[in-house]
Amino acid sequence: RADNGYGGQQARRRKGPGPLATGYLVIYNVVMTAGWLVIAVGLVRAYLAKGSYHSLYYSIEKPLKFFQTGALLEVGVVLFPGIVPSSVVLTAFQVMSRVFLTWAVTHSVKEVQTEDSVLLFVVAWTITEIIRYSFYTFSLLNHLPYLIKWARYTLFIVLYPMGVSGELLTIYAALPFVRQSGLYSISLPNKYNFSFDYYTFLILVMISYIPIFPQLYFHMLHQRRKVLSHTEEHRKSE
Amino acid sequence: FVSHQVEILDWETKKQLCFLDKVEPKATIREIRLMFHKLYPRWYPARQSIKLDPKGKSLRDEEILQHLPVGTTATLYFKDLGPQIGWTTVFLIEYTGPLLIYFLFYFRMTFVYGLDERFTSSPHPVVNLACICHSFHYIKRLIETIFVHRFSRGTMPLRKIVKNCLYYWGFAAWLAYYINHPLYTPPSYGKKQINFAVIMFLLCEAGNFSIHVALSDLRRNGSKTRKIPYPTKNPFTWLFYFVSCPNYTYEVGTWISFTIMTQCVPVGLFTLLCFIQMTVWAKDKHCTYLREFKDYPSHRMPIIPFLL
Repeated sequence: RADNGYGGQQARRRKGPGPLATGYLVIYNVVMTAGWLVIAVGLVRAYLAKGSYHSLYYSIEKPLKFFQTGALLEVGVVLFPGIVPSSVVLTAFQVMSRVFLTWAVTHSVKEVQTEDSVLLFVVAWTITEIIRYSFYTFSLLNHLPYLIKWARYTLFIVLYPMGVSGELLTIYAALPFVRQSGLYSISLPNKYNFSFDYYTFLILVMISYIPIFPQLYFHMLHQRRKVLSHTEEHRKSE
Repeated sequence: FVSHQVEILDWETKKQLCFLDKVEPKATIREIRLMFHKLYPRWYPARQSIKLDPKGKSLRDEEILQHLPVGTTATLYFKDLGPQIGWTTVFLIEYTGPLLIYFLFYFRMTFVYGLDERFTSSPHPVVNLACICHSFHYIKRLIETIFVHRFSRGTMPLRKIVKNCLYYWGFAAWLAYYINHPLYTPPSYGKKQINFAVIMFLLCEAGNFSIHVALSDLRRNGSKTRKIPYPTKNPFTWLFYFVSCPNYTYEVGTWISFTIMTQCVPVGLFTLLCFIQMTVWAKDKHCTYLREFKDYPSHRMPIIPFLL
């Protein structure tokens, strides 16, 4: 039975993509894997060249923005129309939060770009995405090495908290600069009768991690138990 | 006749919860629910999901035992749907909230805009107009809930009401805050914009009400079966020529007009979310109509004529 790797939810009407869609999906996933590899290599080279791990953000800024934003395609073109049976909401949520951090925080608040917390989440995202996209690629080709499956469902145990820490620290570092410059904020009176305080918004975002992160984490742990023990049984029965 | 036997198992554990002997073949699922309720007083009929298959759909009250594919000994599965609340009660709570909350802001209660602004009133007539329209909208909804709507399903899970109330009440508070704010700015095109919005508002409210009455008339004799709605003599119902759910179309129209009237971004956002939500509901309803009726008018769209 073809498990194209996006599983977790029951397929609605279609049982996985047809051959043309599979072709496009493979190309997409290969490109994304390559992209994140480029970022990984960029980080390593910059580290070796500079001799320190500070301010490496600038060396991978463009590919990071490009490939992280590219993940929106995944949500809008693949998951939302239901080409592949998988959780739209969970993935959309994660992609949105990543894109938010990339553009609305790191890009927008230039002062945080030299923070070490940025490196923390960039490294976490890079490793996670390389594994995730190669997982999808191999699954679509029905030839998934156990190592990749294991890596996808195990490394998150460390990478997830690492990424979350980096993200929270970065937002926290951005706060004083947002307050000072009034970034993305609008106050009354104005003809749209609307007000928005980006500083308060960022604090609310940070607070939202408290209920959301544990849920996602335990969901992944649960998936891990399901997927890896299922493989064990499958192997034993061979 | 041959009397039937019915055993009811828990859908997850498959444990036998009850065994009903000497059941009439013409017994309805409603009667079986009542019998089950006698044995388990905690599980009143509205929270019982009785099905043929553990993972299947719940059987309706009107289904008759001998017409089900079960033979003389039927095995049915029970799932507890959790505490239920009647639809009428739900709507009354959901709609009274925004009505009253808006007044808190309109009358500028002390804690809303600070002590200096308490109980003052706005110099702008459009603010009074907005309050009248908003209140009219929700009073109309309350009246419809009590006198017009006929619900096909009696109840909904209690948990959902918290989520729904947070949404409706929260948004009402948010948009009321800005419209009644001391620093509120009236619409850019002044009286022209406001008058246009009021006319559009009244037309859409009338349209929405006409559709609700027309839908209600389809179920005049208390039946729960669905029928294809058709345009009547009332011109507002002629939208049925083009869409399956003109009530949603008119509702979106009402909120668009309110946005134009107040020129307020939060209202616009609420309108957008309403539009998205109603499009989902309309598409759902539209698909149900297509499935149930072979002769359903094929040129009808779910919510927007010709487009969506």
